[in-house]
Amino acid sequence: MSSNEELSHSLRTFADDCNANEKLRVMNRDWNRVIHIHAEDTLADYTLTCHEGTVVYSEGTPANCDLRVAANCEVLTQVFYGEVSPNEPYNEGTLRVDGSEDDVLRLDFITAMLWEE
Amino acid sequence: MKRVVSVSLGASTGDFKRELKLNGIDFTLSRVGCNADMELAASTLEKLDGHVDAIGLGGIDVYLRVAGDQFVIGDGLRLAQHAKITPVVDGSGLKETLERTTVETLVNRGYIQRGTKVLMVSALDRFGMAEALVAAGCECKFGDLIFNMKIDYPLTTLEELKDLARKYRSRLLTVPFRMLYPTGAAQNERSADGKFAHYYYEADVIAGDRHLILKHMPQDLHGKIILTNTTRPDTVDELRKAGARILATTTPDMDGVSAGTNVMEAAVVALADKPLSAITRDDYVEWSQRLKWQGEIHVLN
Repeated sequence: MSSNEELSHSLRTFADDCNANEKLRVMNRDWNRVIHIHAEDTLADYTLTCHEGTVVYSEGTPANCDLRVAANCEVLTQVFYGEVSPNEPYNEGTLRVDGSEDDVLRLDFITAMLWEE
Repeated sequence: MKRVVSVSLGASTGDFKRELKLNGIDFTLSRVGCNADMELAASTLEKLDGHVDAIGLGGIDVYLRVAGDQFVIGDGLRLAQHAKITPVVDGSGLKETLERTTVETLVNRGYIQRGTKVLMVSALDRFGMAEALVAAGCECKFGDLIFNMKIDYPLTTLEELKDLARKYRSRLLTVPFRMLYPTGAAQNERSADGKFAHYYYEADVIAGDRHLILKHMPQDLHGKIILTNTTRPDTVDELRKAGARILATTTPDMDGVSAGTNVMEAAVVALADKPLSAITRDDYVEWSQRLKWQGEIHVLN
């Protein structure tokens, strides 16, 4: 599997995990946001659309986004598989998340609820 | 004369200085608000270090104590470490003792009973109070996600709170504290959209952090019981005008000021003849009883 395919799979897995988590669906029922994921090394673009608690994966760059997540393909894949806490690459500067503070906090919160023990 | 200072990230408008006797010893208790300026708070800690008997850290926690576990707030710990000699406390040790006692008093006086509906605006910073309210049979909604993170999802059980603390523990080390809790001037801002006002209307008792309570409260609190601390005369006026029936504070009144537990805990540390690391929960219980510290109940309307 190429690195882009792996990233794509991690994003679909992330969306599936979010949608399978009933508590998260309720928590995010009013958090309607478009998230653009950009792989800086392969220049691949993906979109996660959160609408009324459901997360939908698609390929390509969104026309407008609320959050933009950028890193190299490997880092993004690890983060969206939940293999690495986003805090680590974020604090190291290898993962960039642009958006309002509230939205950044919310996205981080979602990953914590999904993967932290 | 023993000198205890609270260094707070809160607004300097809440500063106070009181002289009093504790266990026969003259004390000066004071507060220095740093208006959310972390660097100012750090330099104030450094200036006081070695020159006062104990320091309380206000407007920020160092530890969240949840059901026997201790969770570190990164910003709080880094700030506290600017004092190398003088012991620094955040009030989390004494908080549990005083807040449980205040809930018990409200139960004994009939203000709280089985089935009383309680909104705790945040509970992870007051887990002892949450446990006491649940033990009293209250129907609790814990607003940690609502009021700290703007996620419209009330938690209703202690288990959910523990689960949240466990899952979010690594983030507490790195997420800037100001993103989770209002500091400085933000403490005096009022939420304008009223999105969460219904949680207040649905409750008989509004409990927890004073700043969070005031920030999100609707104009009408008719008949409500408010359970909090760190009140000032203007806080009391605001709650009275809103129609609140009872204000219960978890720390004793000192000439119109209900101090933060951090400064009270620092006073205990200054009194106790042992190092900070050797002071236990039992010591806080013993000292608060010896000093006759207890919350106060004010009838507002």
